[in-house]
Amino acid sequence: MLNESILTLITFVPALGAAVVFLLPRRGRVIPAFALLVTLVTFVLSLHLPWHYDYAQRGFQFAVNVPWIAHPAIHYHLGIDGLSLWLVLLTTFLGPIGVLVSWRAIEHRTKEFYSLFLLQQTAMIGVFVALDLFLYYAFWELSLVPMAILIAMFGRRRGPRAALKFFVYTFLPSALLLVAILWLYAQTGTFDFVQLQARLASGGFASGALWWVSLAFLVAFAVKVPVFPLHGWLADVIEEAPTAMAMVVAGKLGLYSLFRFNLGLFPAQARELAPLLVAVGVIGLLYGALVALAQTDVRRVVAYAILSNLSFCTIGIFCFSLSGLNGAVYQTINEGLSGGAILVLIAFLYERYGSFDMTQYGGLASRLPMLCTLWVVTTLALVGLPLMNGFVGEFLVLSGSFPVHPGWIAAATIGVILSAAYMLWMAQRIFYGQQSLLVSERPHLDLGLREHLTLWPMAILMIVMGLASPFWMKAIDPAMSSLANHPAATPLAAPATATSMPEPLPQGGAR
Amino acid sequence: MVPISWYLILSAVLFSIGVAAFFIKRNIITVFMSIELMLNAVNLTFVGFAQQWHEVSGQIFVFFVMVVAAAEAAVGLAIIIAVFRARSTLNVDQIDLMKL
Amino acid sequence: MIPMVNPALRVLPEIILTLFGILVMLADAVMAKASSRKPLGWLAVLGALAALAASLWQNRLPAGDAFYGVVRTDAFSVFFHVLIAGIVLASLLIALDAVSDTTEGLGELFALILFGAVGMMFMTSAVELLLVFIALEISSISTYIMAGFRRKSAKGPESALKYFLLGSFATAFFLYGIALVFGATGTTRIPEIASAIAAGHTPAIIYIGLAMLIVGLGFKVSAAPFHVWTPDVYEGAPSPVVALMSTAPKAAAFAVLLRIVYGAFPLLHDHWTPILWWLAVLSMTIGNLGALRQRNVKRLLAYSSIAHAGYLLVAFAALSADGIAAASFYAVAYAIMNVGIFAVISHAGGYEDRLTLIDDYRGLAWRSPLLGGVMAFFLISLIGIPFTGGFFGKFYVFVAALHSGLIWLAIIGLVNSGIAAWYYLRVATAIYSRPSESSPVHSLPRPSLALLLALVITVSGTLILGIFPGGVLSSARAAAATYTSVSPVPSSSGTSAADTTAQH
Repeated sequence: MLNESILTLITFVPALGAAVVFLLPRRGRVIPAFALLVTLVTFVLSLHLPWHYDYAQRGFQFAVNVPWIAHPAIHYHLGIDGLSLWLVLLTTFLGPIGVLVSWRAIEHRTKEFYSLFLLQQTAMIGVFVALDLFLYYAFWELSLVPMAILIAMFGRRRGPRAALKFFVYTFLPSALLLVAILWLYAQTGTFDFVQLQARLASGGFASGALWWVSLAFLVAFAVKVPVFPLHGWLADVIEEAPTAMAMVVAGKLGLYSLFRFNLGLFPAQARELAPLLVAVGVIGLLYGALVALAQTDVRRVVAYAILSNLSFCTIGIFCFSLSGLNGAVYQTINEGLSGGAILVLIAFLYERYGSFDMTQYGGLASRLPMLCTLWVVTTLALVGLPLMNGFVGEFLVLSGSFPVHPGWIAAATIGVILSAAYMLWMAQRIFYGQQSLLVSERPHLDLGLREHLTLWPMAILMIVMGLASPFWMKAIDPAMSSLANHPAATPLAAPATATSMPEPLPQGGAR
Repeated sequence: MVPISWYLILSAVLFSIGVAAFFIKRNIITVFMSIELMLNAVNLTFVGFAQQWHEVSGQIFVFFVMVVAAAEAAVGLAIIIAVFRARSTLNVDQIDLMKL
Repeated sequence: MIPMVNPALRVLPEIILTLFGILVMLADAVMAKASSRKPLGWLAVLGALAALAASLWQNRLPAGDAFYGVVRTDAFSVFFHVLIAGIVLASLLIALDAVSDTTEGLGELFALILFGAVGMMFMTSAVELLLVFIALEISSISTYIMAGFRRKSAKGPESALKYFLLGSFATAFFLYGIALVFGATGTTRIPEIASAIAAGHTPAIIYIGLAMLIVGLGFKVSAAPFHVWTPDVYEGAPSPVVALMSTAPKAAAFAVLLRIVYGAFPLLHDHWTPILWWLAVLSMTIGNLGALRQRNVKRLLAYSSIAHAGYLLVAFAALSADGIAAASFYAVAYAIMNVGIFAVISHAGGYEDRLTLIDDYRGLAWRSPLLGGVMAFFLISLIGIPFTGGFFGKFYVFVAALHSGLIWLAIIGLVNSGIAAWYYLRVATAIYSRPSESSPVHSLPRPSLALLLALVITVSGTLILGIFPGGVLSSARAAAATYTSVSPVPSSSGTSAADTTAQH
């Protein structure tokens, strides 16, 4: 049955590819071409998921559940719902793009690079599809390793330090996460997410202990997102990591886990902490935006823009309104897409001019019109221009959260305005105004075929996701509705938005 | 007859002297001798208990301990000679190429 | 009635190793002075293989005693026999790779490894403290000699001296412990000690005896605060020897500790669990904090081995069949990954330790992706990342601890494993940094067949333990089951966190 084995295939085809890479000759572009093939095959396989997904049905689909280790009872349990569906798709979609962007950038030790890259794909997909807490943890930890090695080995000069920072930041809280998972197992005798959810909902646990357990989960994920005071690794990693890794290092893994486990397993505890997290989210949003304004290195601008945007997702999550949650999921996907695109653009810019300092650029628009166009499209998506994907997410989050925490959200809108400021300012300084010395000195080559192939799929998807958001929402909304507060708690948010939305509304709004 | 506890106290005292000497003495040979003293204190304990339990296995144990101690001494002295050749000193404080 | 088994069969692996050891020694004596001793190494490998096969075969024997109740073969002893034979096999291969044809005293080294293994194997099957003592000494004396094998280097004899003095000191404690237990119970057979205690009226000196036994074994497993010799000895000893002595004698000493505390003193668990609790906490913490400030890779791994002894003791303190199984499993997982990493160190650094500092390893992965990748893999396993043996080792240990309500111990342990990640990663980071022009990694020798065999054994072992741990775990559980008749299991999976007091 394809439906039962499809998730296994999607998860392990890249790992298999990673093993095969080791057997390939180091000649020419054999290895990157093979990696591209593997990621494309994975992507095509993953298209099976939305195709055959039953949008009317709740719960997990394409499930497979077989015993893996008898004692303790660990199952190989995979499955996806509307939340993980799109995150799996996002990951497989970014796979070929990661290969294409590394095509030129990685010249030496390609075997190591691409096999670790493919292993990283497996780990990330595994995180999204695993429904056994143990299996999930295994993939979660595994996702650190290839990432850290790739940053250390293929990053820029200070790559090894950044990798160390990243690993320690994320590994330490993971140790506590393991204690928490083992404690849950000791109490309930199961690692199965669905069973655990039912057990925890039925109550009967010491609330104090449960609170600590939920905190361990929260901290482990918050570091990975990263949420504001725990973001120390982010800027260094984005700055040093090879582009293919910087694209996927932040955001989706941590945010997904917050949705799935903090909200799914510990709804009461998550709600207790919610005001704190909303506050932290708003602070992170403003902080990221202000720091981004002060940067001249384009990668650091983007790093803080990412921090700012991810804080936005945190706000959406911890307001517990349905449209806020929907918006947060949508923003998670947007962030992976638009944030990835801007990093790819920066990489292409660097390949041409060898500088990340935006003060050295100027007047590029006339020399590289295509690059400029795509940069502007991505920028507009990131700042949330209507008709673009970013707008849908931001609007849903703001409108869903405003009734819950009006004061904080009012402050958050300032952050949104600031984000428009620094992103547009960056585009302005690089592409418009006087041609700088650096720009006029170098030969100007606009995008080549490989670069077009890398960027256009992302640009098109950004626009499509802005225009046709219901296609995504019809899966996200049912998954989120079980996590949101009861509709009675937030009655006014949705209908009010319905009238003011310029484009077809997600189903979430219609509630 | 001398009560068993006297033997035990004597052996405990000897053992403690051995332990103290192990930490205080600076000459490797003396340190090594303090270990031998500890082993002999144990032998005395074994003999004492063997007498108390009327169990000959305690005395047999002593023979084994003596044999093993002799083997240990053979190896130990060889090692001490090797150290002396390499470093020309028998003071434990000066054998500090690697910090403890 | 248990069918009669020829007693010699119960010590078959030991007999095989002794015979091969004597053969190697004699051949060494009659061979021409100038000829290479490497064939003797392969002969020793053959002996280790035969011992491994014999140990596996022993699984088919019915559990029982031999030689008037001195030796016992059961699932437990077979488990550790197989482990020790495997370690010896891998260490011999590592030694064969590291040494050159002209290395001094090579034949003796191979013979000593085999003789030492005889002692270690007897440690795991002895149920009479007299034999435990003799076996411990056979194992220790051979390792004292091997530690100082680089006689001409300045550090070699110093390493052997420290090991010898502190080792004999610990032996004296162990022996005094035996004497006091003998005085309290009138016997030195482990099962009879247990029944004497069960009968009641044991005098108080038994507690002192038990404490001294634990101190003596604490030295042998390098548990803090009895760990001071470890870093110096590891630094000064040749790497192939460290591969052996950081794993096999320790596994054997842990087996003895299990036999003693669970076999002889199950009824006194109120007294020894707190001791082991503190030993575990101290070992983990001191080991990891000590490793943080090391610059020498072998010293770093010495501190790491102290920390790993601590994790293993966590399982001891759990006081359940699950705990024994977890400890046994951990011993295997740790042994395989540690032997593996020393295989790389021994090859890259050679017998004379050309690479010592972490910085010397800079660029290893760029220079040789195979060696660098394998070393990173073992570091990852030592950290305890999933899909490696190190992960399941820790996992079972902490599951057992949590099941017994040792929540604090589990938290301390896992926080420690988080700290540990830092220093393992420093090494991994160095490996993956770009090498400088003058880096010593540019002059790596070619990997030999022996090294490749050793790497295949250890890498596949670590992967199998990490992906399909079921097989080894069920053997470990069978080994643990030999104690369930005597081991009290105090708390099942409690429903509240309230029973944390059990540990104090």
